Amino acid sequence: MGMAVALNYCLLIMAAPASGYTSLTAARFGAAVIAQGHILPRVFFLDGGTSNGLATAITAQDEKSPLTEWTQLATAHGTELVLCVSSAVKRGLLDSAEAQRHGFPAATAHPQFALGGLGLLVEAMQSADRVITFGAPE
Amino acid sequence: MSAAARKSVLVVTRHAQPARSLARAALDTALATAAFEQPVNLLFLGAGVLQLIPHQDSSAVGVRNLRKVIDSMPLYDVEHCYVDTDAAQRHGLTTADLPSGAILVDVAAQRALFDAHHHILGF
Amino acid sequence: MLHTLNCSPEHPALQDCLKLLRAEDALLLLGDGVYLALAQCSNGQALQATGAALYVLEADARAAGVHARLALGFNVVDDAGFVALTERHARQMAWY
Repeated sequence: MGMAVALNYCLLIMAAPASGYTSLTAARFGAAVIAQGHILPRVFFLDGGTSNGLATAITAQDEKSPLTEWTQLATAHGTELVLCVSSAVKRGLLDSAEAQRHGFPAATAHPQFALGGLGLLVEAMQSADRVITFGAPE
Repeated sequence: MSAAARKSVLVVTRHAQPARSLARAALDTALATAAFEQPVNLLFLGAGVLQLIPHQDSSAVGVRNLRKVIDSMPLYDVEHCYVDTDAAQRHGLTTADLPSGAILVDVAAQRALFDAHHHILGF
Repeated sequence: MLHTLNCSPEHPALQDCLKLLRAEDALLLLGDGVYLALAQCSNGQALQATGAALYVLEADARAAGVHARLALGFNVVDDAGFVALTERHARQMAWY
């Protein structure tokens, strides 16, 4: 029943990790895309979605952690997780370089997320057969 | 990348206040897509048309002026700004209020826009 | 094209979506959107009137407790089914 051809997917995540469970749904969708034989080279997090990259997010034991679900996708399949740098830094998500530049002692973004510009989204969209956006109501 | 391989993008923006950062993200995405020389159009749908109200002065609130960003779009090769006709009417926006070059579109034309682009980004 | 709707039945995004939904489209309800598939929901009936193929994401329907109370016109899909919808439809519009 599935497609014979492997499709190239790009995911655009606007939903913050605590906005309902949209982020978890998106991560599950990403895993399902790969399980169905397609490729997911990059997931781009924008606006409130950049909060998914916060290293210090602690999720209750009886709930799934969006951070864990996304980083597992990266670990298992090499999917790049990119936080839009302007959205990210506004929300306090800094990589080592940004932390140092602004005089903070440590990075706040999880190391498996990279901070990058919207050009990385544009690039991913150009290679993609499918661009799927996930957002949640405010 | 050859011109034949370029995929067109339609950025659909449906929020204004209080989701201002989302509205701003939509504009930035349209600008970035154009900056990287990919075909992109912007559609202001529903409440998104409120971003187009003229004479915005955001200096007292301390954030960037959305309308100024929108007015700069043609300079950056965003192909067209399309505006939901019904929503514009509902919110009292006249043609004179809109950025120059903005194109009013009814539902049929909006749907045609959706069908004419490779990728759609919903903001 | 594929529409995904993630907002409650009273949310204005539904009206935006309804205007653009066509009979050849598919609509997938996610998150708060699953409530539109409840058997007595009048906005859900408006969705059915468009003739589009209507789907509800199973995990979200179960989370909301609506899995056993869906209107007949809505089909439950799992994650693989969600992927299949994106295979079939080249364009997706996210309403939220």
